[in-house]
Amino acid sequence: MSTKKDRFPEWTKTVVGLVLGGVGFILPLIFQFDGLTFAGHLALGIFLMAAVFWMLEPIPIYSTSMLVILLQVILLSTQGPLFKDAALPQTKAIEISENVWQIPATALDGSTIHLRKKATLSEELNVEVLERGELVLIRTDQITAETVIVADYNHKLVGYEPVSYTRFFGTLASPIIILFLGGFMLAAAAVKYNLDKNITNVLLKPFGTKPMFIVLGLMLVTATLSAFMSNTATTAMMMTVAIPIALQVSKEDKFRIMLALSIPIAANIGGMATPIGTPPNAIVIAALNAQGLGIAFGSWMAIMVPLVILLLLVAWGTMRVLFPPTVETFKLKLESAFDKSGKAFMLYILFGMTVLLWVTEAQHGIPSGMVAFLPIAGLTVTSVLTKEDVRSLPWEVLWLVAGGIALGISMENTGLAIWLVSSISWDMFPQLVLLLVFGFVALMLSNFLSNTVTATLLIPLAISMGTSGIGGEGFNLVITSLVIGAGCNIAMLLPISTPPNAIAMSTGFIKTPDMVKVGFVIGIVGILCVLAFAALYWPLMID
Amino acid sequence: MSQIYILCVEDEPEVLDVVVRDLSELEEVFPIEMAVNAEEAREIINEIKERGDKIGLAVCDHVMPGQKGVELMIDMQKDPYTERTRKLLLTGQAGLDATIEAVNKAKLNRYISKPWDPVELLRIAREELTTYVIEQEKDLLRYMAVLDIERIQEAIRTKGSISDS
Repeated sequence: MSTKKDRFPEWTKTVVGLVLGGVGFILPLIFQFDGLTFAGHLALGIFLMAAVFWMLEPIPIYSTSMLVILLQVILLSTQGPLFKDAALPQTKAIEISENVWQIPATALDGSTIHLRKKATLSEELNVEVLERGELVLIRTDQITAETVIVADYNHKLVGYEPVSYTRFFGTLASPIIILFLGGFMLAAAAVKYNLDKNITNVLLKPFGTKPMFIVLGLMLVTATLSAFMSNTATTAMMMTVAIPIALQVSKEDKFRIMLALSIPIAANIGGMATPIGTPPNAIVIAALNAQGLGIAFGSWMAIMVPLVILLLLVAWGTMRVLFPPTVETFKLKLESAFDKSGKAFMLYILFGMTVLLWVTEAQHGIPSGMVAFLPIAGLTVTSVLTKEDVRSLPWEVLWLVAGGIALGISMENTGLAIWLVSSISWDMFPQLVLLLVFGFVALMLSNFLSNTVTATLLIPLAISMGTSGIGGEGFNLVITSLVIGAGCNIAMLLPISTPPNAIAMSTGFIKTPDMVKVGFVIGIVGILCVLAFAALYWPLMID
Repeated sequence: MSQIYILCVEDEPEVLDVVVRDLSELEEVFPIEMAVNAEEAREIINEIKERGDKIGLAVCDHVMPGQKGVELMIDMQKDPYTERTRKLLLTGQAGLDATIEAVNKAKLNRYISKPWDPVELLRIAREELTTYVIEQEKDLLRYMAVLDIERIQEAIRTKGSISDS
């Protein structure tokens, strides 16, 4: 009889994940944390649960995102049971003498009182406290006998103005998600009509037959395609090109390793090149958009493409040293047979127009998310994509990102994000050190977690440091977010780091140590390159 | 994680050993079960079923004491559990009628006549398992290294079964 299987570990991993996530959710409901609002405690519970679920994956990462949205709608929305009909308790101050007021003890929060602006909105006011006790006397010239004061500073609405549930649901239709949907539909159509393969065959021709140039060609083409398609689909497609080449060399030749490794690396790096290249970019862009800091499609490319090219060359050089080829030349079968049907031409036209309008966003001013609806509508109107094609789009990726964006909303508006970062005096550190910390943490986490999840967990922290001023002087929100995004995308140490890595590893051509060696160099050199760009180049590109 | 098995049915133990040896490259990923007659094959099929595992490929001799190989394959085709199993007849003596029956009723996928070329047998087994995995499995990565890598990559590309995370 063959080996007996042990189902125990799989089962325990799920249970441990679920239990830890549940504990994470309950902790903030049991313990009171100083300086964190009531809603912040709820958001912290959701955050901890989501972080555990995303890390240990007892449930798929996209369902964690859906769960996050469900909990937010129930716990944190205006329409949820906790905040439905809730209103700030009100009172008024009694004037004792000029500028000296008597207020109930429950209205005084340290040396702050909360002015009631609306039933759900309050504003802090610092006052001088003259006498504490049952009767509190304060001195301030900012209030009158008519000013409405919040009677209980512990009330759940203090420091948190609930938002409508539509705000959380709406993340799934936010411009960045629509932009991705447009990209997904273009990519699906490209695969359906073999546009990706044909483009590859055309683009690879100039790279000749010398091994190192073939690899360079494969990497540049992979990176270019993965900038517009998913990194994973690009890797699978390029593997079908690379494998016939690899099979021409003997099993001992290290060139096989280089061939199989160059593609996932280039796909991972290439994802950085455009906003739609890979989901972590969506988290970065959505968070910046929410702060009114939009980055145009073309500007993103101008910011990122030089970095992508530099990192591709670093990876190419590293592999050249580690896996020198012994073969001299190769036969490459590069026959392109472009589909000449009417539908295929529709696709070519829509693809060309969309990409053109995307990269020229800064010139014509039409937001890229709006442009994305051109292929969304166009490809279905012309039947280039059918109902079945639409069904098989990677919708779960959109949910994953939407949940990430929704979590970011609550981390910001409940004060949780600020509370999380405020324990460290960040302004002591030079800006470059701060960027290094963010980039390095992103790189480390992302090697083990989904890149999107890493971005989701870190970006709100950076945003809150920027908006609250905790980041110190010279803190640039856009650059910090870009560094985090880049840190997520250059993590490719292990087979589990990214799906393209897993795909390449499964061919059996590569051993884990090979991947670790190259991934390590790219990670370290990559972070240094990113910091150099953040210090020298990006400030020129961003106002 | 359920396993995908290869089932080899052959009445002569020496021949059975050769078949298993020829397929040994696949064994790491697709464990091989052996049976010397149809009855034993059925028992093994039931055992594998009870464990919640699957049978991806059945390599079957025809002339055996007791039930014939083609009859076993027809039964397998009728049973929903083994309907999708790729079926390979490896025989020297199946007559025309039995072969026609195997094609029509057992939806035979391949016919290899004895004596066979070991390289060819392995190639065909690999092809059939690749087809099985692409049609039946969600996680293709587990099986890729021993199968037709190019076809599996192509399936990942067109099915979009793996997405960026």
